[in-house]
Amino acid sequence: MRQLRTSIVVAIAVITGIIVLVGYFIELPVLENLRIILLHYAVIFIAVALIVGVVNLVQVHWKKFQNRQPGGVYSLILIISLLVTIIVVGYFGPTSTPSLWIFSNIQIPVASSLIAVLTVVLTYTGVRLLKRGLNLFSLLFMATVLIVILGTVSFQGFRIPGLSELRTWITQVPAVGGARGILLGVALGTIATGMRILMGSDRPYGR
Amino acid sequence: MSVFDLNNLDLLGTVLSFGLTLIVFSFIFGDNLLFRFAIHVFVGVAAGYAAVMTWYNVLLPEIAVPIIGGSQAERFFALLALVLSTLLFMKAFPRLSGWGSPVVAYLVGVGAATVIGGAVLGTLFPQVLASINLFDFPGSFGNSSPVWVQISNAVVILVGTISALIFFHFGARNRHDRHPERAAWISAVARIGQIFIAITFGVLFAGVYIASMTAFVERMTFSANFILLFFQL
Repeated sequence: MRQLRTSIVVAIAVITGIIVLVGYFIELPVLENLRIILLHYAVIFIAVALIVGVVNLVQVHWKKFQNRQPGGVYSLILIISLLVTIIVVGYFGPTSTPSLWIFSNIQIPVASSLIAVLTVVLTYTGVRLLKRGLNLFSLLFMATVLIVILGTVSFQGFRIPGLSELRTWITQVPAVGGARGILLGVALGTIATGMRILMGSDRPYGR
Repeated sequence: MSVFDLNNLDLLGTVLSFGLTLIVFSFIFGDNLLFRFAIHVFVGVAAGYAAVMTWYNVLLPEIAVPIIGGSQAERFFALLALVLSTLLFMKAFPRLSGWGSPVVAYLVGVGAATVIGGAVLGTLFPQVLASINLFDFPGSFGNSSPVWVQISNAVVILVGTISALIFFHFGARNRHDRHPERAAWISAVARIGQIFIAITFGVLFAGVYIASMTAFVERMTFSANFILLFFQL
């Protein structure tokens, strides 16, 4: 019985996957329509999966608070802020003044401050890299970082001559070559992983 | 303008915004209670907002509205979606999670196919075509550059692309009583690829650094304006 259930689950993944994939490459109206319907349902299920994720977040943090684990108070704060947001945004609507107040005065300041703190973290990381034994690659990395930053900004209107042109060349020639190689590698890896799922070798969906 | 020109809600919002900015900045001196408080509030608000947006933008128009006021066919499709969504929702409860596996399998299958389609049509073909077009003179680097500059740039990009790609080839020959190693020529080309990858990551790092610096300046300007407003009392 369990084997039959596993086979059905694998068959669902393989069949839906193959229909969608074939729909990308073969122009048949039936396949095209079927692909659109399957993708439409997938969008709905992704939305439900997001809700499942939020429920799971609450469950995990509630357990943490209930069991008086370290940081349990923060878990309670998270749950309260989540529920208050759901009640306010859900009741008044996402574009209402109270919802936008929450978004503008909590979400945006924390998010942009976290990005701002990244400046310090990245500087610290760069200094640590310099402190460690330098090799050709870390030296190239740091030199590129400095050239791109110094070539982008100006100091009260002053620019180091030639640096801007060097920055343009680096970003448009060797960096493009490297990025293209990385992108092709990622694409090939993605295709291989996807094909393993469509062939039923990888089953990341449980029994 | 002084703080009294703002209405109460705006004033509270500005104070809250300033306070949260300071709390997040306190992380520069190390992890602390206030920072953890702010992060947990942030995660809670973000998750709550995302859940409500999902309800308003997807679940309400795609399931609730068709069931209540749709045609026969729309009602059927929405009901089917509701049944399958309920199965998927059971994933939130460990005892019932097995019921959600067919829907997760559906998602994984459709997701894998979409990702393959995207990788082939959105990355593989365009990037290979762009590499070929590098040698379509004149025009690759603008008509103003001399042809020899265009050729050398195209060669550098091509060498970078191939060597960076080869760097990610980790296939190795099994050698008798010695560690498996990559072929000598692959190792040599991979080292050239490493140079290009280091330059690429350097450019990406600098881009992120400049972006974060912009956010830093924006937050500092906001904080300075807030303090100036406050002392104008």
